[in-house]
Amino acid sequence: MRYLPKLSGHRLAPAPVLRWRCALFLAVLVSPALLFAQTYAADNPIPILTGNAGFFTNVVAGKTEIVSEINPVVLVPLGDHWLIEARGEFEGDFQRKDWGDGPYGGQVGKELDYLQADYIANPYVTVTVGRFLTPFGIYNERLYPIWIRDLQSTPLIFPIGTGSSNGVMFRGGLPLNAKVNLNYATYFSVASTNDTLDSDRTAGGRAGLFFPGPRIEVGASWQKLLQEERTNAFGFHFAWQPTPLPLNLRSEYARSDLGSGYWIEAAYRLSQIPGWNKFMRRAEVVGRVQQLFAGHVDEDDAEEYGLPDVNTQEADFGLNYYLHDGLKATASYGRQFNSDGNFNLWNVGIAYRFALPLGRPGLQ
Amino acid sequence: MTKRLTIITTLWIAALISVATAAIPPRNSNSPAGPPTVSKVQDADAMRLEGEKRFRANCGRCHAAPQKFPPRMMATILRHMRVRATITDEDMRLVLYYMTQ
Repeated sequence: MRYLPKLSGHRLAPAPVLRWRCALFLAVLVSPALLFAQTYAADNPIPILTGNAGFFTNVVAGKTEIVSEINPVVLVPLGDHWLIEARGEFEGDFQRKDWGDGPYGGQVGKELDYLQADYIANPYVTVTVGRFLTPFGIYNERLYPIWIRDLQSTPLIFPIGTGSSNGVMFRGGLPLNAKVNLNYATYFSVASTNDTLDSDRTAGGRAGLFFPGPRIEVGASWQKLLQEERTNAFGFHFAWQPTPLPLNLRSEYARSDLGSGYWIEAAYRLSQIPGWNKFMRRAEVVGRVQQLFAGHVDEDDAEEYGLPDVNTQEADFGLNYYLHDGLKATASYGRQFNSDGNFNLWNVGIAYRFALPLGRPGLQ
Repeated sequence: MTKRLTIITTLWIAALISVATAAIPPRNSNSPAGPPTVSKVQDADAMRLEGEKRFRANCGRCHAAPQKFPPRMMATILRHMRVRATITDEDMRLVLYYMTQ
């Protein structure tokens, strides 16, 4: 009996040989998979860390504010149909203390914009559960990231119907025919008073028609508040990117009890200017006009929602310069007009978009 | 109470439709991130051109052209953009093809 351990041990190869055999076995097993992975690398998405960071100086009505911001986005694909995605927002707003004579100080705000699981059920329907950006208009979902937006200040009507929701959403895009695509999103959100997961109890949706030929999109949004005043909000959006010009025209209208208004924005890339083309093609001029008609809200509520409590008009002009892909220098001037007093808005800063693989990215 | 019931019923119907349509094999596709199989576009050059066109029409509406990332990163980004920008399945495949060639 005492030889048994020795005999059974003798049957096994020495440890280094065993390791080599295991490694060879695994290599034979895995190599076809690796070859396949290289051939169809795009079939095997990997988790990535992306997002944007920015540093801006704003002068609003003569008061200087320094804003530093980072918005990390984590994307984790699972299998062929799933995507887990999350975006955080860390924004530090720093102003001079002691009525403008002291050192800069302020707070860093932290928010969870979305943390959602997307299930791509079929080519026409994606089911999303969790915390997601409320699909109302186009600014909140598509144009909000600082490396995308053409002017750093958000539109006056931006707080109407937007923010984040907690619940379930169905969305997708499908071609109606060769000339028109339909896109839609419909959702239900539960109320939450948790600081990180704050949301209202709402239901709503958005539908849009996109004409790929002339590159025009028109759409409408609706939202029903299912608590307190049970009010409705609705909006319309329009976007046009004329094919012969490097021009982007966008506009939104929104209406709710909090107020109503619109913005119209045009961004023109100077790539068609014949002189100094190397420099000019990276530059973009932007203009935006907007108007807000204050709703039935008192001063405190308006401040809570981030809306003006009096009728307001604003015009902004800006210049963006794309230093290279993902790195943009930006500057703008605007003037706001309302019954509380008119004032200037200056902004200068830089925005950067990053993307890092959290796995083997595959061959380019 | 009736409204609540209506909302819940609507969501359930939408969920049922979604599950039912999931069972139908999609046209012109094998998997959500698979290689493009658009019947109208035969050769690689034509697909690249079509992909670029779709890229400019869909992605260029919101942001400037990004650099081309490695394929497996691009696949993740395109899946994210498919959900975020509600672009069609075919557009996503062609843009992915263009961005990974």
